[in-house]
Amino acid sequence: MKQRQRFFIFTMLSPALLLYGLFVLLPAVNAFRYSLLRWDGLGKPVFIGIQNFVKVFSSASDFGVALKHNIFLTVVPGVFTLSISLYFAYIIHQKVKGARLFRIAFFFPNVISSVAVTLLWILIYSTTDVGLLNHIRKIWFHLPAYAYTQSANLLWALVPMTVWTAVGFYMVLFLAAMENIPESLYEAARLDGAGPARLFQNITIPLMWDVLTTGIIFLVVAGLKAFDAIWIMENGRPTSFTHTLSTLMYSKVFEEYDIGRGTAIAVVLFFLVLGTTLIFRRLLQRERLEY
Amino acid sequence: MGQLAGKVGVGIKYTVLIIYLAAVVFPMFWVVYTSAKSTQEIYKNPFGLPRVITAPSTENAHILVENYKRAWIGSHFSQYFVNSLKVVSISLVLILLFGSMASYAIARFEFFGKQFLYLLFLAGLLIPMQLILIPLFFQFSDMGEWLTKAFAPLGNLITGGRGLWVVSLHDSHAGLIIIYVAASLPFTVFTLTAFFRTLPNELREAAMIDGAGEYRIFFQVMMPLGKPGLVTVAIFNFLGLWNEYLFGLVFLNSDSVKTLPLGLASISMQAQYKSDFGLMFAGLVIAMLPTLLVYMILQEKLTKGITVGAIKG
Repeated sequence: MKQRQRFFIFTMLSPALLLYGLFVLLPAVNAFRYSLLRWDGLGKPVFIGIQNFVKVFSSASDFGVALKHNIFLTVVPGVFTLSISLYFAYIIHQKVKGARLFRIAFFFPNVISSVAVTLLWILIYSTTDVGLLNHIRKIWFHLPAYAYTQSANLLWALVPMTVWTAVGFYMVLFLAAMENIPESLYEAARLDGAGPARLFQNITIPLMWDVLTTGIIFLVVAGLKAFDAIWIMENGRPTSFTHTLSTLMYSKVFEEYDIGRGTAIAVVLFFLVLGTTLIFRRLLQRERLEY
Repeated sequence: MGQLAGKVGVGIKYTVLIIYLAAVVFPMFWVVYTSAKSTQEIYKNPFGLPRVITAPSTENAHILVENYKRAWIGSHFSQYFVNSLKVVSISLVLILLFGSMASYAIARFEFFGKQFLYLLFLAGLLIPMQLILIPLFFQFSDMGEWLTKAFAPLGNLITGGRGLWVVSLHDSHAGLIIIYVAASLPFTVFTLTAFFRTLPNELREAAMIDGAGEYRIFFQVMMPLGKPGLVTVAIFNFLGLWNEYLFGLVFLNSDSVKTLPLGLASISMQAQYKSDFGLMFAGLVIAMLPTLLVYMILQEKLTKGITVGAIKG
């Protein structure tokens, strides 16, 4: 009987474990090995220790510039996304008419593929007559067309697009947290004479702090991984204005055939994702409030 | 005075909500109705309604049909669509099957190293896909070579000794499916383990008394009970995989195997050079509609999934 149950457990676990081990864990471990090699993908790899990392972190490297772009793409759209989605969650939670409609519609951009979203915004930003924004500039303000998606301007152009895509998701997330707070707490505080600002600051925010932390971590990780939109808007050729860690990694490996350097960038990216997740969990973790 | 301020506040609230609603919905409507215009018409009148609506006639309806025909057949969107459907549906079936099997074992049985195994799967949630991308690329080359050698005797038999039967995981749906399944397992196992833990044990005991074996109990009792959890996991994985771009970009090269996001990206790059806007708008609609429909039908479940995730933290 015991033997049979052990066999059962074994058969249940092995397909998932085999696939996960062979196609996620093994390559993840290999990434660390690759990052210590000089290799063009064809010839014999040479072990060079941490030289790839030394080069990556050296001041002349394009890594620093790319990381700055990642930080920009984390902070600027992140601040807007966080405040707008928090505001919408708050006012929808206060019972508005059509709450269901707003909730469903605001989520739309989140289910469309990043490629489709990018194309849509390429059209919106277009310098031809099709471009919605340039059309408005011309008709209403008599301004000349502006090249929003030109390399030098692209990062700023990505801000509204990123916010537009993300707000719905974070709003639903925060709304769920707000709806989970018992009404009785608000009632008690109101009896004590607390106004809406006090209620928001002293009840809503503290009681949804965990979810807020999760939201911030999602936003930071998304900013660190940014790839699709830049890759497509730049037609696969990002410049020193637009490279992010991911696009730089791709170019190093598949265009410069510098496997070691490309993987070293991926390893740094991994530590950044890991680090921000752990640090934010620690830093932002207050005592868990029970209610 | 206070009442007036309150009314102004309400007014501002609705104004902001409606402006944002327009900002989200208008671009999508614009794409849909513009896909019924010819490229010249788009240039002349980019934001007005198409002539099919303002002056319905077979001739004007023809433009709409023409755009979609060019996208669907001429630009291989039908092929990309079928490819996406194939890759994503096979991946989903395997993810749900393997994921629920492993989750059930972790959630309901005691065995040596269980906690370690669970944490091992959770660790996958912290691994960015960028980390495994490059090693996988070379691993696939090695594995392809190895499989080709291993299958050489069989290959000789099939081809009658005329040549090697080359197995390649690059540029193939099988390769992409393997990655998609493996990479989706951490999230799936994490969610389903939590779900299987909540199921009552009495049903399993009752089935055991009836003489059912563990496999039967799992497939006939526990899997059906786990349906709400499986649906949630399926929606999230569907949206993620249907829209996936980076792995496809690295692992699929031939036009005939490309999935929808890749096809859309390459068509749009060509269409931009040719300024073929009619085609671009039609292609966008083809890419947007399926996920929007799935979302409209299942949005209740999806929102609930996020809600449960939010509350568990």
